[in-house]
Amino acid sequence: MSAAKRPDAAVKLAGGAVYGTDLEAPGMLWGALVLAPVAHGRLRSVDLAGARALDGAVAVGPDDLASLLPGGGGDPERPIFPRAEISYRSQPVAAVAAPTLETARRAARAVRVDAEPLGVVADLEALFPEWPGSEAERSPDIAAHVHARHGGVEAAFRDAETVVRETYRTASIHQVALEPHACLAEVRDGVWRVWTTTQSPFGVREDTASLLGVPEASVVVEGTWVGGGFGGKGASLLEPYALVLARAAGRPVRLALGYREEFLLGRTTLPAVVRMETGVTAGRIVARRVRLLLDVGTSLPGRDFATGYSIGFLLGPYRTPAFEVEGYAVRTNKPPFGPHRAPFAPQCVFVVESHLAHVALELGLDPEEFRAAHLWKEGDPTPLGQPVGPCGLAAAFEAARALARRWRAEAAPGQGVGIGAGFWSTGTGAGGEALARLDGRGLTILQGEREIGSGSVLVGLRAVAAHASGLSPARIQIEYADSSRAPFDSGVFGSRTTAALGRAVEEAVRGLLTRLAERMGTVGPVTLEEAGDGLVAVHRSERRSVEELLTPEERAAGGLEASGRHYGRAGSIDERRVVAGTFYPYTDFTGSVHVALVSVDRETGSVRVDRYAAFQDVGRLVDEGSARAQVEGAVAMGLGTALTEEAIWSEDGRLENPGLLDYRIPTLGEIPPLEITFLEGFRGAGPDGAKGLGEPPIIPVPAAVAAAVRAASGAHLTELPLSAERVARALKLL
Amino acid sequence: MTERRLVLTVNGLAASLADVPAGERLLDTLRWRLGLKGTKEGCRTGGCGACTVLVDGESSLSCLTLTHEVDGCAVTTIEAIASDPVGRSVRDAFEREGALQCGYCTPGFVVALTGLLKERGRSAPLEELLDGLQGNLCRCTGYVAIARAVRAAREATA
Ligand code: FES
Ligand code: FES
Repeated sequence: MSAAKRPDAAVKLAGGAVYGTDLEAPGMLWGALVLAPVAHGRLRSVDLAGARALDGAVAVGPDDLASLLPGGGGDPERPIFPRAEISYRSQPVAAVAAPTLETARRAARAVRVDAEPLGVVADLEALFPEWPGSEAERSPDIAAHVHARHGGVEAAFRDAETVVRETYRTASIHQVALEPHACLAEVRDGVWRVWTTTQSPFGVREDTASLLGVPEASVVVEGTWVGGGFGGKGASLLEPYALVLARAAGRPVRLALGYREEFLLGRTTLPAVVRMETGVTAGRIVARRVRLLLDVGTSLPGRDFATGYSIGFLLGPYRTPAFEVEGYAVRTNKPPFGPHRAPFAPQCVFVVESHLAHVALELGLDPEEFRAAHLWKEGDPTPLGQPVGPCGLAAAFEAARALARRWRAEAAPGQGVGIGAGFWSTGTGAGGEALARLDGRGLTILQGEREIGSGSVLVGLRAVAAHASGLSPARIQIEYADSSRAPFDSGVFGSRTTAALGRAVEEAVRGLLTRLAERMGTVGPVTLEEAGDGLVAVHRSERRSVEELLTPEERAAGGLEASGRHYGRAGSIDERRVVAGTFYPYTDFTGSVHVALVSVDRETGSVRVDRYAAFQDVGRLVDEGSARAQVEGAVAMGLGTALTEEAIWSEDGRLENPGLLDYRIPTLGEIPPLEITFLEGFRGAGPDGAKGLGEPPIIPVPAAVAAAVRAASGAHLTELPLSAERVARALKLL
Repeated sequence: MTERRLVLTVNGLAASLADVPAGERLLDTLRWRLGLKGTKEGCRTGGCGACTVLVDGESSLSCLTLTHEVDGCAVTTIEAIASDPVGRSVRDAFEREGALQCGYCTPGFVVALTGLLKERGRSAPLEELLDGLQGNLCRCTGYVAIARAVRAAREATA
């Protein structure tokens, strides 16, 4: 096992790592939010008198913002407290702070919120019993609309020998990072400072500044250790409230969510409905139509990233001569939609894989053969007309089929084997920068992200710097500074950290090597080597001590510095295929193919995963231990999406299972033996051909499990999760 | 509510506590009165195991334990777990096997496994140890490395 010791293991194992939930300051108050009592309503009044009467308590509501915020209230489109209309249950309508958490909770309960209930929209299909037509574009219920087509789809469907139509439904799921959201805020001398558990200090800075209507430069965000993110900690959530309270109190304020609140107002992924239609002639796909209704809760208009991005995953990595895709982001009285590790891709891949397998079975074809025959090859156009780059998908599929054949031969009666295939593209975000500093003994990388657990910062960036410099990781330090001092980076999400921020690190290190080369009177290449405690710069046979190559000023200032930046977004799409909305090109193409062996209980419908294998295209393996850890974690999380996880929303917009006892994530005993194979050589957009890896390995899990369940039992499920109850119903046991 | 002082032995040191409300949880006493924040707060409802500590050597969920209930008891938290030889081998096994990512579940796992190993001793079958950790949730690692660490810690204590 090549698991390198993590540089953060010691502090975490000693209980010494300070997370957001551990934040505390002398003289601080404890904050609490007052949550809306209805999912939709006209707000008549928020009476804070009862809260303010409590000892040492501070309360802020909608009417206080004008006097507390320098610009008079922040973004009018996104007020932090609703002024007239409540749009989801658990929307914060006021905030309180007090010397103890007990008193703060009492103060929150003492706030009287008077709201007249209005009709609630919680169910996508009740809203659109018929599929939305063109008039829907102007509907206030539609937050975004995307539409693309190519290849004369009507004629292709008319001429097709067979057309198969199905409807799929996927569930609302929660990230369930073990650490809930938490922050500490202080406002002093015009500086709005917040310490917080976040995947994106700069994202929180930008968002918070705009929500509060203060200049970005006056907001300083300092990240803590993060107890898991998975997409839920990518944007601001509590920070604006904590800052407003701190401003009103004139003291630091700590604001943290209890786990129930974490479910109620954390950023969940919401349900979706997908209609799939596929035309086949002579065993070949001739036409596809995909329509998506995605619940985005109270997300604002224009936030169509989720829809435009998801749509691509619904077509899947399969050649399709004619297609039409159309997606609607639908507003409902639920909290704003949030990303969840590979946002919505596992659900989409479940839909497309299950559907195409179903099409094949309907036609009496082998479902794996059918998919393999249509799988993208390098150079094929994507539906939006972008040529597919180097991708290990086909090779992984091949390897997965060989393994599946072996497992099938060994399977007992009642067991079944299935394959799921998906792809991902390394995120770039808004780009990122890093600074490299070289002294006589080692290399320091200064950057703006905290380690959220995946290892992408402390292990990944370090490995990238080692690879680019020639030094061993032990000589490299990763340093973090708050948003006022660190170089900009857009965040730890989209599998982009090691891959995209890593490119900035790589460029910074190369900048240092170029400067050393100049000083050695050459144009390079120069690499670094360790010599005892010191370092030497090596060019061919010439070796110079790094210490001597630095100027006295540089030595006094801590070393020679160079910066790197990476704002790359590769690839472009054929805009002629776009009818409406925004579609996104792919940066690179990462294939993931999984094989599941499951048993289905013929009496209860419950599914047990007995064996599992993942074939993962990585471009270049940056650090094997971390890569394996990502696959292991993602597979477990994906098994939750596949089998048990479902946030249940009632018709009146209430979350019915806000807690870990009712929302079940996988436990230690539910993890099958897992075999992992990495495929190298299909170069990606990251440092020296690496690809982002945080998200890809979760993508095929529900698809692989569903295929195995069908093979084991004959049950064809069109809804996630594949709960025992749904399987039993499909098997007509209920 | 202030009828008496409580005396706990926390990580080997006597802690004398005044004015502890009857409803105060051991988790909050440790974290906010004694500043021992290595013990993590997750769900507060007994569903995640992040808050596990040893009470008189037995692993307990501090979010469900009232501080008054443990008056006179010895409490061990992650901060002192390595001063126990079993705790030390558990900690080392987690480090060696890379059995942590974000680390938020880690104190709970390390303390719970230490408790199990101390209670059931060297003869405890691996299955029993793994079973005893079913109440500890981890969202990052997929438990694969954790299971490896359990095996390694068991061998090291045997
Ligand atoms: S915090 Fe105690 S079990 Fe979750
Ligand atoms: S390491 Fe993050 S929850 Fe276990």
